[in-house]
Amino acid sequence: MTNGLIDFVLVSVALLAIGIYGLAVKRNAIRMLFGVEMIINSANLNLVAFARFIPNSQGQTLALFSIAIAAAEVAVGLALIIVAYRMYKNIDIEDFRSLKG
Amino acid sequence: MLDFTSTPIILTLMLGAVGVIIPVISAARKEKGGKLYGGIAFGALVAAIAFVGYQIMTKNVASGALFSKDVLSNDMFGSFFAIAMLIVGIMTTVGSFNYMRGRGNPAVYYSLIVLSTIGMVLVAYSTDLVMLFVAWELMSIPTYVLAGYDKKNPSSNEAAIKYFLFGALSSGIIIWGISIAYGLTGSTNIEQVISGFSHLSPGMLPLAILAVAMFIAGFGFKIGLVPFHMWLPDTYEGAPPPISALLAAGTKKAGFAAALRVIVMGAIALDLNWSFALAIIAIITMTFGNLAAIRQKNISRMLAYSSIGHAGYILIGLSIAPFSALGAAAALFHVLNHAVMKAAAFIAVAGIVATLSITNIDKLAGLAKRMPITSLGLVVSLLALAGVPPLNGFWSKLMLFGAAIDAGHVVSWAPYLAVAGVLNSALSLAYYGWLIRKMYFEEGESEKRVKEPRSIIAVMIFSIIFMVGVGVYPDPFIQFAKSAVPVLTSIPVIH
Repeated sequence: MTNGLIDFVLVSVALLAIGIYGLAVKRNAIRMLFGVEMIINSANLNLVAFARFIPNSQGQTLALFSIAIAAAEVAVGLALIIVAYRMYKNIDIEDFRSLKG
Repeated sequence: MLDFTSTPIILTLMLGAVGVIIPVISAARKEKGGKLYGGIAFGALVAAIAFVGYQIMTKNVASGALFSKDVLSNDMFGSFFAIAMLIVGIMTTVGSFNYMRGRGNPAVYYSLIVLSTIGMVLVAYSTDLVMLFVAWELMSIPTYVLAGYDKKNPSSNEAAIKYFLFGALSSGIIIWGISIAYGLTGSTNIEQVISGFSHLSPGMLPLAILAVAMFIAGFGFKIGLVPFHMWLPDTYEGAPPPISALLAAGTKKAGFAAALRVIVMGAIALDLNWSFALAIIAIITMTFGNLAAIRQKNISRMLAYSSIGHAGYILIGLSIAPFSALGAAAALFHVLNHAVMKAAAFIAVAGIVATLSITNIDKLAGLAKRMPITSLGLVVSLLALAGVPPLNGFWSKLMLFGAAIDAGHVVSWAPYLAVAGVLNSALSLAYYGWLIRKMYFEEGESEKRVKEPRSIIAVMIFSIIFMVGVGVYPDPFIQFAKSAVPVLTSIPVIH
């Protein structure tokens, strides 16, 4: 049995919902980073699924670019979180409150 | 097929090579010292702006905003933004000379500024959603690093983490919007997406609206529209002041370039009552930004809220673009002016922080005696931001509000935008005036003149000349903005 487009889209919407939940509820910087990554990957799944049903490969091309870019983004994000950990011994973003106004 | 002599490609090759070569030179070189790298970055950016100017003079760029089958189009719209972004890049580079003295890794710092500038320029030139996304990330990722550059300082790191989380979320939302647009129309070329949107079956229309809404949210995070602005004051306050200039004057304006190409045209193709929604966001954004700026004690934070307010003014131009020929031109003119004014204000703050380590507005009393040239530059840029004649901010605000009143012939709500804009300008004069009063008319603790950094003086003199010059003789710049406006009637819509 083959999967239709709707199955892929349902999975990707579920991933999007989990990602948004993670961003909204969690206060650990790494968990929030996971949430963002889930949103980006759900969009990638969407693109690849659409590209399967559309007679061109632009969606797959964009998915490849987006995977590479997401990797660069995670590298930068983890580096920032490591620097924060060295300063606070903690990565709870509730504790980062030196800027207020 | 790509044309290798077109402006964006040569710009990318030129600046990209420099951005990559600077760290290589640093690795090969034994002695330390950041002046060389700053000089290379400055030279490359000046050469780039001269090249864009040459291309415009010799009419090698097409007028208006083109759609093309390629991923990049060699048009006036992109060149206009390229000039604005490169000016900001140059001002940031020169403004950083003093900040970088005695700090580590100057090569990486200048290289990241150059790379981020290419990203901004390419966002303005791109006519394909894949290219737009890649350029958007090329612009964003270096600025995440730069915002946290002062790594021993907790507020710089906090600023970078907040900026990173919201920036990454915004790119996730943008790629979701692209994926829906691609699924609906089977293409990532902006022209084909827009013509696809105008031929959708009615059942698919909510999905197309969702895609445009996701673009507004994604670009709105960078622009600082009000429901998406939470990170902005914290980041501008905590980041190194020259980088705040790059963020406020550069990445924010690239967001408007993307918004004009994608949101405005996409929404026209969908034929919704979208401009009313944008107008409401514009009024909320400018009122919120100006009200919040009044009660700030930190000067960077005050400028951050004022830049939220200016995002609202520019959005006026976007929302009335389909009803008045002047709307989009006024928005573009204000983009250029605001880029210079805001960069000048933040570089002045960088000079004050570097020599006196003051960020609190109350402690700025008597600054005019201690740092006369920096104070003069800050005052001129604040007056220009408030829209006082005869400075450049006055003309672009006049064009924006005039276009809004002009659009009143078509839509009854447009003149209210002008009313809101004028009231907000008056409101903003209150806190700019308070700051100017502190600097010029109050006695400070010390009246001893301190030595002002030469690089900051250079930026101040350039920006004073620009702001007064455009204010006295605005005509060529208005013509330039008009020639760069996307021709909204050429959108392939059949209704």
